[in-house]
Amino acid sequence: MADTVLPRGKVTPIVDTRPRRKFWSGENPLFWLIPAVLFLLLYSIFPLLFNIYRSFFEFSSSRKVWVDLGVRNWVELFTDDPRFLNALGVTLTYVAVALAIQLLLGMLIALLLDAKPWGSGLMQTLIILPMVVAPAVAGLMGRLMMHSEFGVISVYSYQLGLLEKSEPLLGGTGRFALIAVLLVDIWQWTPFFVLIILAGLKGMPHEVLEAAEVDGANWFQRLTRVKIPLLFGVITVAILFRLVDLFKIFDYIAIMTAGGPAGRTESVSYYSFVNTFSQVKWGYGATIGVVIMVMGWVAAWIYQKVFRLKW
Amino acid sequence: MTSIVITEAQREANRRYLVQQHRRHFINKLILTVITGLIVLVFVFPIFYWARLSITPYKYVFTIPPRFDFPETTRVWWSVVIGGRSYSDAMMEEVGNLTGVGGAGTGGYDIRPRIFNSVRVAGISTLIVIIVATFTAYALSRFEMRFKQNIVFFILSTRFMPGVAVVLPLYLMYREIGLYDTLGGLILAHVVINLPIATLLLKSFFDDIPRDLDDAAMVDGCTRFGAFWRIIVRYVAPGLAAAAVLCFIFSWNEFLFSLYLTRTPELQTVPVTIRTYDASAGTTEWGMMSAAGTAAIVPVFIFVLFVQRYLIRGLTLGAVRG
Repeated sequence: MADTVLPRGKVTPIVDTRPRRKFWSGENPLFWLIPAVLFLLLYSIFPLLFNIYRSFFEFSSSRKVWVDLGVRNWVELFTDDPRFLNALGVTLTYVAVALAIQLLLGMLIALLLDAKPWGSGLMQTLIILPMVVAPAVAGLMGRLMMHSEFGVISVYSYQLGLLEKSEPLLGGTGRFALIAVLLVDIWQWTPFFVLIILAGLKGMPHEVLEAAEVDGANWFQRLTRVKIPLLFGVITVAILFRLVDLFKIFDYIAIMTAGGPAGRTESVSYYSFVNTFSQVKWGYGATIGVVIMVMGWVAAWIYQKVFRLKW
Repeated sequence: MTSIVITEAQREANRRYLVQQHRRHFINKLILTVITGLIVLVFVFPIFYWARLSITPYKYVFTIPPRFDFPETTRVWWSVVIGGRSYSDAMMEEVGNLTGVGGAGTGGYDIRPRIFNSVRVAGISTLIVIIVATFTAYALSRFEMRFKQNIVFFILSTRFMPGVAVVLPLYLMYREIGLYDTLGGLILAHVVINLPIATLLLKSFFDDIPRDLDDAAMVDGCTRFGAFWRIIVRYVAPGLAAAAVLCFIFSWNEFLFSLYLTRTPELQTVPVTIRTYDASAGTTEWGMMSAAGTAAIVPVFIFVLFVQRYLIRGLTLGAVRG
């Protein structure tokens, strides 16, 4: 074995070291990315460009043509549309209230489940269920339970004196209509916070908590000084996702109140929808579409930058 | 050295102390369980109440105070099981001439073909999503690219796109190119809705697999595609399953696009059909709605049990590992 003779002169290598340049072998990232990018362009860039373009027009449904309006849609939207401002107000109220309640309630339930009651596994499974109910069906459930005559919640609220029969949750003057929609949202999405915070609690390093306990921190101090700061990351992500979803709230409103009574539950999304499909003001609907797209986009971008989310 | 002497009395005191501790622990746990259980019950109750309505004869639906039991449900079931009648017929007998519409057989209201529509739309769109997303996720996980963060944000931002702003352009484009009011068009829309979710979720699964595995495969003579196809994909199988189930659920539950990209009743999906029971004939048909709604949510519940572990990971697009 020792006298292996190395060949002289030019030797063809056994291992093929030529660079693989063939597109189909997958060395080029574009090979992998092209299908998805095509799909997503269709879904995000095209609608954005379309909405921007059409925001300078209005569709005349009688003559079936687009009429050039210049910037009139934009001027009207920002200076002369109290209904849009109302919708903006409703949306912001909705987002703030829903987010606050869901976060606090979710935190509470997660801490309770984390303390390991009997059957906590089963409880965790059960609390997932509201989240996967179709939003349309969840809206109908809300309407059933808050029906002004025979809804469970209504009937017992009347008996307990929480509500007057003349002023039901749904219907009537609609003073409480937004609360009714909020209740459904809270019911369906609090579990999201529960699960996400629970995931954070489970991934928490034991040593830190034990160290805090040894150092004499009581339950409340352990919660506020150790657990919540450590949960910051997951809570940030949860808030980001809820924020954008709450901002485009549509399904419950369409099913439960149709924006009424008197615009009390009309969100920006729903207002855009009313313009587009009920009143066939496609140009104006597109204008609002641009606004909410850009707002959502900017909000998500800032949030991601500020909290340094990494995917 | 003096040995420590434990007297009988001390031993007794210790024992009592331990028992007391144990008992206190027990009571605390009991209180905790009761409180948590009650809260969880509040969250489950609406589903129970809704499902109960779907198997309750019509005359008991609007009772005041509300009932929580299942009056005459067994009788309805027996007439189905023994009498051999269809469920909807048995229920319709209870409805009687109170509403006069609804039930199987009145064409526009039959839920069964719509369930098939939903299965087709959700199934095919999920299949396409998973294929495309796997490719994209692999690239985002494995290649160093300029603007990678921007690409990721671009994908993420399509998840944040408000549906209402997208549906009008899509609707008008579909009318131009003849995709409006076809299941194919709806499937395409559902693909783009679910693509960001599946892509970023799968990226997090690919990130969990060491790159050495790719390199090893390629040293052994695979092309990159070969390494991906023969080796890496096999390791993300749980991720593929989780992403598929989640996409299926989202597509199954999707409402806005299904409502506005189809017009023919025969092409509608389940959530849209459930909506048509609502006041379309002058009355809100709670019985029919709840039956259809229950039929729509039960398969989802069964599905989600399988991917429970990955649910949070999916909903946060891989940002939080559950």
